[in-house]
Amino acid sequence: MALPADRHLTGSGPPGADDPARGRLFWAALVVGWAVIAYGIAGGLDNARDTQPTEIVRWFLGAAVVHDGLLAPAVLLTGFAVARLLPAPLRGPVQGGLIVSAVVVLFSLPLVRGYGVRPDNPTVVFRDYGPALLTVLAVVWVITAVVTVLSYHRSRRPSTVPPPTMTSGTSGK
Amino acid sequence: MNLPWPERARVGPFRDGAFPSPLHDQRVAAILGVALGVAFATCFATGVVSHLIQHPPGWFTWPARPAGLYRITQGLHVATGIAAVPLLLGKLWTVYPKLYAWPPVRNLSHALERLSLLLLVGGALFMLFTGVANIDQWYPWPFFFPAGHYWGAWVTIGSLIVHVGAKAPVTRRALFGGTRLADLAADGHDGRGAGLTRRGFLGALAAAAGVLTLTTAGQTVAPLRRLTLLSPRRPGIGPQGLPVNKSAGAAGVLDAAWDPAYHLEVAGAVDRPLRLSLGDLRSFPQHEAVLPIACVEGWSASARWRGARLRDVLERAGARSDAEVRVESLQPRGRYRASDVTHVHARDADTLLALELNGEPLHIDHGYPVRLIGPNRPGVLQTKWLSRLTVT
Repeated sequence: MALPADRHLTGSGPPGADDPARGRLFWAALVVGWAVIAYGIAGGLDNARDTQPTEIVRWFLGAAVVHDGLLAPAVLLTGFAVARLLPAPLRGPVQGGLIVSAVVVLFSLPLVRGYGVRPDNPTVVFRDYGPALLTVLAVVWVITAVVTVLSYHRSRRPSTVPPPTMTSGTSGK
Repeated sequence: MNLPWPERARVGPFRDGAFPSPLHDQRVAAILGVALGVAFATCFATGVVSHLIQHPPGWFTWPARPAGLYRITQGLHVATGIAAVPLLLGKLWTVYPKLYAWPPVRNLSHALERLSLLLLVGGALFMLFTGVANIDQWYPWPFFFPAGHYWGAWVTIGSLIVHVGAKAPVTRRALFGGTRLADLAADGHDGRGAGLTRRGFLGALAAAAGVLTLTTAGQTVAPLRRLTLLSPRRPGIGPQGLPVNKSAGAAGVLDAAWDPAYHLEVAGAVDRPLRLSLGDLRSFPQHEAVLPIACVEGWSASARWRGARLRDVLERAGARSDAEVRVESLQPRGRYRASDVTHVHARDADTLLALELNGEPLHIDHGYPVRLIGPNRPGVLQTKWLSRLTVT
């Protein structure tokens, strides 16, 4: 079962391939949305002492650049490594475990590093988060291991669906 | 106008078929898009409510009841934002190939669309990053967090509205156009690499959202308290069993708060200005109320407060029955050294000038000698170390 080509987001289809019809909703949302954006920009400039507009712009763009330039390529390389190193039945569950782990690690990094620690207020960032993070990751990988075993057994059972192939890449296109 | 882009410049990720994974798929993008739309709308609505409570325009009145409403709206704001982290990262991964669209710019309207997407992607990441860092009390940026988060929210939600208008038809087609959820599980069997299926991908993102929620929501949802492994706060941890946001030391009030000559001034539009010592405040009928501290940072904890009713003190001073009150702290400076109490809150039987917390005199970090506590007010407006009430 191949995916319909126009459903796959290659970002390169023929011009307009996934452009929807530009109906009333499109134009209404365009006008309302840009009015709201303009309100936000005007408010930000109006309160420049608090918002420091050049800094906000830097952090807006910086967030996109760090994601698109560092985080996404790192995910890409990890996915590539998983596909190269692991037998096919293990790949899916391990990728799932890695996704959950990466999200949990990213989220808790400021806590683990203790960026918000205040000597005068031990009630915020109140514990040592390293062991807490390891506990959560341990649970995630126990569940991942169970899912992996189940999926491995399922893949060895005879089935009407053709078995997964070991090839990776574009062979199915 | 179509720009001439040389085909031989089309290298690396710009090549056709550079992203063969089945996860870069319209249906996955549509499902995650709808979930994120709901999450961001929830965050925006609850965030604007929180902003209006703290900076009320003339037309806005926030009720005093139900007493725990703000802990729900703000708890929802923070919990939804946290759960949106894996959804956003998953969505950006799904549509990542579109960053390398070829040609990069087709025409003016295409360029404008990509510009608004830059606002949306940058804005969504900015909102979630600044929000998460703020609950961790980590401020790596120079701007004032509430101002940046608030005005950034308008830009982000505006670009989201543009995006929804542009993508509604394609989303509808992807969701209801024939593919079933079962098809999303079949990816491993079509020779595309036998990695995670689309359904598996969505499942992993949902699991990530679930893990983050389970390990943080206990900071406001009491039954989950024991699971708060990754939350920056835990109700029950702090002096007198309650977390603290600003300590007396950090506020610079230690000397003034311990001063035996302490008194509370009541002035402004009153018949009889008052100068109340701690003993005077204890001579008012003492009233007890169980009220939450509900922080803008998404944690909340109930406690038993005891002290004089604000309305009794206002009555003694001869204030009008619809009086509003500006409440000031001993804190010499800082944005949150004062707060305003609307007449709705000032009249409420549970709005107290609290002297005790959970049966003991207030801990200095909870506002000794006296703090304001009222139903349904954000924590930053429950002013500590009171020095003066000005009636208007």
